[in-house]
Amino acid sequence: MFLRRKQRQSHPLTPDEGIPSPESRRQEIQGRIHYLTKQIRYSKWWMALFFLFSLCAAVDFRFFPPISEKTRQFLGASPSPTLISIALIVYAFSALILILGHMNTGSVRFRGWSHIGYLSAFYLFYYYTGVLRENFWPVFIAGLTILGLESYRVWSACSEAIRMEKEILASVKK
Amino acid sequence: MFNSFASKAIIPVALSLTGFVIVCSLILYSSIREGFLRDAVRQETSLADTVVSSTRYTMMTDDRESLYHIIDSVGAQKGIEHLRIFNKEGVIMFSSDPGELNKVVDKTTAGCIECHSGPEPAERLGSMQLARRFVNGKNNNVLAITAPIYNDAHCSAGDCHFHPDHQKVLGTLDIGLSTASLDSSLLALRLKMVVFCVMVLILSVGGISALLRRNLLAPINNLIDYVRNVSGGSMDNDFPKGISEIETLGQIYHEMAKEKHHAETELIKIRKADSLPKRKGG
Repeated sequence: MFLRRKQRQSHPLTPDEGIPSPESRRQEIQGRIHYLTKQIRYSKWWMALFFLFSLCAAVDFRFFPPISEKTRQFLGASPSPTLISIALIVYAFSALILILGHMNTGSVRFRGWSHIGYLSAFYLFYYYTGVLRENFWPVFIAGLTILGLESYRVWSACSEAIRMEKEILASVKK
Repeated sequence: MFNSFASKAIIPVALSLTGFVIVCSLILYSSIREGFLRDAVRQETSLADTVVSSTRYTMMTDDRESLYHIIDSVGAQKGIEHLRIFNKEGVIMFSSDPGELNKVVDKTTAGCIECHSGPEPAERLGSMQLARRFVNGKNNNVLAITAPIYNDAHCSAGDCHFHPDHQKVLGTLDIGLSTASLDSSLLALRLKMVVFCVMVLILSVGGISALLRRNLLAPINNLIDYVRNVSGGSMDNDFPKGISEIETLGQIYHEMAKEKHHAETELIKIRKADSLPKRKGG
């Protein structure tokens, strides 16, 4: 769907312009293949970033200086761990439903970056409350599931689109 | 492999379902464990209060021998790892382990630091703040609680030994219980949750696979066989029936094939008719 929109935007086939030349068609297809490959690569990079952040969370952000009393007073009382856990369940559920919805529309765009932000926020909330060690695994598994599903969705949609683009490219070359 | 219809339908559902169930199970487990721990601390606090109450009279009368006996007999109970009373300076005065008598407790260790973290020791803490978990010298997991022994009018005005009125805490009772039964209950719970997750995975993947196979893959395969037979020239087989959409598709293809067959027969007839006069004429 996105590709079709992009195609319409880049090459409106008006009678004045006529049919684009095979060379420009080839370039356009190669550009689209490049875009799709980039989306697959993005998903891998964001996944790696999540693993890196999880690694820092696994060691309880030891490299952070301890939160001073002044900062704690400024930030206020921490939410209860139960409340954070409920928020995590609601977030994981809605994120999975959204990804399954994107899967349904066949979108090829990677949208996992926002999830990295949310998951990091959960790590930080648990860290601030002082129960990160006990609650590391739920956030990690939630992240793995959400980003795994998003990566699978992007990989699946992009691979299919790349295969079709390559077929078109082969027919243009003939 | 990943391009097949079955994998495209099963992988996302199985992944999201299993992941979500694991996250919920972990949070549930964490919440249950916290509940178990809270209950254990409550029981231990109650036990500590019982010990303090039962030793109160002996302390008031400065009957040290009876106090030793009480500490010894309570400390010998199954599941109690240690029981000690230390004074305000942190010197162990009574203990179920005679080896540690008169030793000074380090105020920076867990169990002491909670009250002694500030310049003035805290006088009252919540029961969860007084509890600590550690592995002792016998390699047993221990849940310990320190219960302060507070001063009251009888103590400060007692005949036998005098405590000043302003002194709020006279000493501390430290009791440690083995968490073996708690750990085994938690292990059993963990195993049950793992089995539950595996069952959800098997049910979801198995259920979806069975439904897809029965309602979609088998009819599609039948349709493929039918189309292959028709394109091979055989019109004897009937198109697959059962699933509405696939039946419609098969019917449309069947009619197209019939029309094509009819047209080809007609064409052959016309060609034959055309070739007859030529032969007669020739």
